[in-house]
Amino acid sequence: MATYKLHYFNLRGRGEVARLIFAAAGQQFDDIRYERAEWPSHNAEMPLGQIPVLEFNGVKLPQSLAIARFLAKQFQFAGKDNLEQAKVDAVADTVADLMAKYGPTYKEQMETKNQACIQKFLAEELPRHLTNLETLGQMYSDGGYFFVGNHLTWVDLFLYDLLETIRQHDDHILVKYSWLKHNHEEVEKQPKIAAYLKSRTQTPV
Amino acid sequence: MSRYKLYFFNGRGRAEVSRLIFAIAGQKYEDIRYEGSEWPSYKAEMPLRQMPVLEFEGTKLPQSLSIARFLAKQFNLAGRDNFEQAKVDAVADTISDLLGKFIPPRFEKDKTKKQELMKKFFDEKVPKHLQNLDVLGKLYGNDGPFFVDNHLTWADLLFYDILETLLGIDENCLNNYPWLKQNRAEVEKQPRIAEYLKSRPKTPH
Repeated sequence: MATYKLHYFNLRGRGEVARLIFAAAGQQFDDIRYERAEWPSHNAEMPLGQIPVLEFNGVKLPQSLAIARFLAKQFQFAGKDNLEQAKVDAVADTVADLMAKYGPTYKEQMETKNQACIQKFLAEELPRHLTNLETLGQMYSDGGYFFVGNHLTWVDLFLYDLLETIRQHDDHILVKYSWLKHNHEEVEKQPKIAAYLKSRTQTPV
Repeated sequence: MSRYKLYFFNGRGRAEVSRLIFAIAGQKYEDIRYEGSEWPSYKAEMPLRQMPVLEFEGTKLPQSLSIARFLAKQFNLAGRDNFEQAKVDAVADTISDLLGKFIPPRFEKDKTKKQELMKKFFDEKVPKHLQNLDVLGKLYGNDGPFFVDNHLTWADLLFYDILETLLGIDENCLNNYPWLKQNRAEVEKQPRIAEYLKSRPKTPH
């Protein structure tokens, strides 16, 4: 029987997409969470000294998106053929581009305690990314509200969690993006996801 | 009329890994290259107003790594099962992390700042990422010269391409990494790659 262990901080961050995939699949896994203080004593155990790391049947795999894509393929949430999977990957890369801009902004806000960088991000950076995602959703979704091919894939989960984090700063970010708003609602309606969202550990990011 | 059309600038850049995949697969494709001056008139045709874009049987895909992974899967260069593909993806993401650190110095316009950033990049960031790649090659390579399980995958082609650019700036940057040097030598030796490298358009980037 396959065994899955996920090593990450006690945060959502770059580990949550994997947890959401496990939840959607109803798959048991070892949800190992390191507090900041204990992480230095474990970092040499990880191939690149970083987490998340997935341990699959004892073999360690770094890189959050490689982990997510693998799990999605294991549980049929990756896209039904090569082209669908490519569309899912293209959307995921676009979500990752947004995450790459948000991450440093969040960090700056935490360090300076100044909201100005967040306001700047929301006003100047975020709209371009949401427009891109709305475009891809309309292009690949086959008339429905999942990003690709009218069924839930890991990229719906990936964006869902990132937007939940960004929405903490402004609850109205999706007002002008009706397709994205519907996509967000569609994800949280999925029974296994709804149950997981109610029961999961609450963390700020 | 080719099933595959690749759109990019007249350069290697983020498209070249895909061209290397087409080359080793012996697959014909339309290699569309836009000059900088003509690009603005084509921008609106691309989903995210960016390139590279792959058009496969009429569907447009943005995002260079998603394109590369799709092509690799089409031609059996992605890894032989889900977990092998995940290892390949993890190596590719680690190479992409290195490329991400190269972007600020590469595109810095101020000459003094550029020199500073390049020095920091080659002194600090390059060794760290090469060390990580060396670790992964030894962890996943199954004692062979390729990154994953003793056969060539798109991760080897991506590494080949990114390092070509870096070695053009600092020809010594791989000196402390014999395994990585040997990996590139193995890629270069592949007959279709050797032929492609001889015959491809020569561009500064």
